[in-house]
Amino acid sequence: MKRALPEKGERRRIGVLPREQGAAALDLVIGVMAFLAALALGGVLIANRSAESWQAGLAGRLTVQILPQGQAAPEKEVDAAVKLLQSTPGVVYAGPLSDADNLALVEPWLGRDAIVTALPFPKLIDVRLAPGATPDIARLERRLKTASPHAVLDDHRRWIGRLRNTANTVVLSAFAILALIALATAATVAFATRAGLAAHREIVELLHLMGAQDRFIARAFEWHYFLAALIAAVCGAAFAAGAFLSAGGLEQFGLASVSFLPPLGPAA
Amino acid sequence: MSFALDPGSFTFLTGPSGAGKSTLLKLVFMAERPSRGLISLFGRDLAILKRAELPSLRRRLGVVFQEFRLLDHLSAFDNVALPLRLAGHRPADYLRDVEELLSWVGLGERMHHKPATLSGGEQQRVAIARAVVAKPDLLLADEPTGNVDPDMGERLIRLFVELNRFGTTVMIATHDRALIESTRAREIRLIDGRLIEMRGAS
Repeated sequence: MKRALPEKGERRRIGVLPREQGAAALDLVIGVMAFLAALALGGVLIANRSAESWQAGLAGRLTVQILPQGQAAPEKEVDAAVKLLQSTPGVVYAGPLSDADNLALVEPWLGRDAIVTALPFPKLIDVRLAPGATPDIARLERRLKTASPHAVLDDHRRWIGRLRNTANTVVLSAFAILALIALATAATVAFATRAGLAAHREIVELLHLMGAQDRFIARAFEWHYFLAALIAAVCGAAFAAGAFLSAGGLEQFGLASVSFLPPLGPAA
Repeated sequence: MSFALDPGSFTFLTGPSGAGKSTLLKLVFMAERPSRGLISLFGRDLAILKRAELPSLRRRLGVVFQEFRLLDHLSAFDNVALPLRLAGHRPADYLRDVEELLSWVGLGERMHHKPATLSGGEQQRVAIARAVVAKPDLLLADEPTGNVDPDMGERLIRLFVELNRFGTTVMIATHDRALIESTRAREIRLIDGRLIEMRGAS
């Protein structure tokens, strides 16, 4: 015979059911669902990673403000605060920010005008802690107040907490969306399988008459729809990956950079 | 009415159209359930058979349906191989048998065509090949030669006879007098709800 041997049992196992008309619609639904699911999942990952990198940038750092009295913060109080901080155990660095640093910090919001430079800035003291150091913040604040009455200590905890909350909200809603997508997809596939069962009644009956076990027929159906769903899902996910990659590409060219948050503090 | 098929026997079921030949066959191959009466197959009472027991019993049957009932999306080869696949055989094991059988029924050149591109007679031969390929214990055929010319009809009856010689019990419902006269097998006639023994087993 001219025909090549059928390679394996697998290829022939699939063919008991024909591909019905309108199957493309189901593939499309599953593909779109997979696309949306991948987008939601990508959103979760991005939110998580951003929150973590912000947190990592802020952890182990404190900021002390010496509020201005009149036009500028009192130099004496600044010196006293810096000295106190430097002598505190766990602190590896404490130093005041220059006026230029101050201007750089407000620039994203206020711009760089003559009028901005004339504003009464508080003096900021950047404090870095040794890795793992957990100084008693309340006690440090009390001591700061006595050395420098206009000092305000900020350990970024509120900021980090809010960030964490935002990220958690994003993650939770993304998971809720994922659950909805999974539910909708499952319902769609169940519906399509039922419809398919009706459409293939003839074949199912014939297979039964020929001595096919229920298990064989069920497996044929499962395999039939699983394969279609798998292909569609892979296509959808590939589209989503493409979407993320192209968004990342745009960001690299500075076209779609998400800079809704200004850089935090001066570059370390 | 009552009748029995002895193991290894060859029987023609005749009778006018609408007498119930097809229904009788359907009852035997369990496509329909009797509203009353007793049918026993291979010593089992079909009325009390469990669903899980059906497949193994049905695999001992070969059925040539009057309307063929081929799977339209499968080639002639795959249609014929279907009973073997259902029984769990591997393609490599049955490839030669199936090809040989298809050649025997004159479809060697057309075994990779789908039913839609085959003539009625060719489809009928595919249906017959599918019914006999697994060498069933009981072969039931409903008008198996209705769409083929006399030569092919004779060839097919030889296939049935050959199968019968190896132990398969055969029952053929037909109108075809030539087919019936070509062997000296038993003939039972179904008419007006009664079965008449026309010709005993030779």
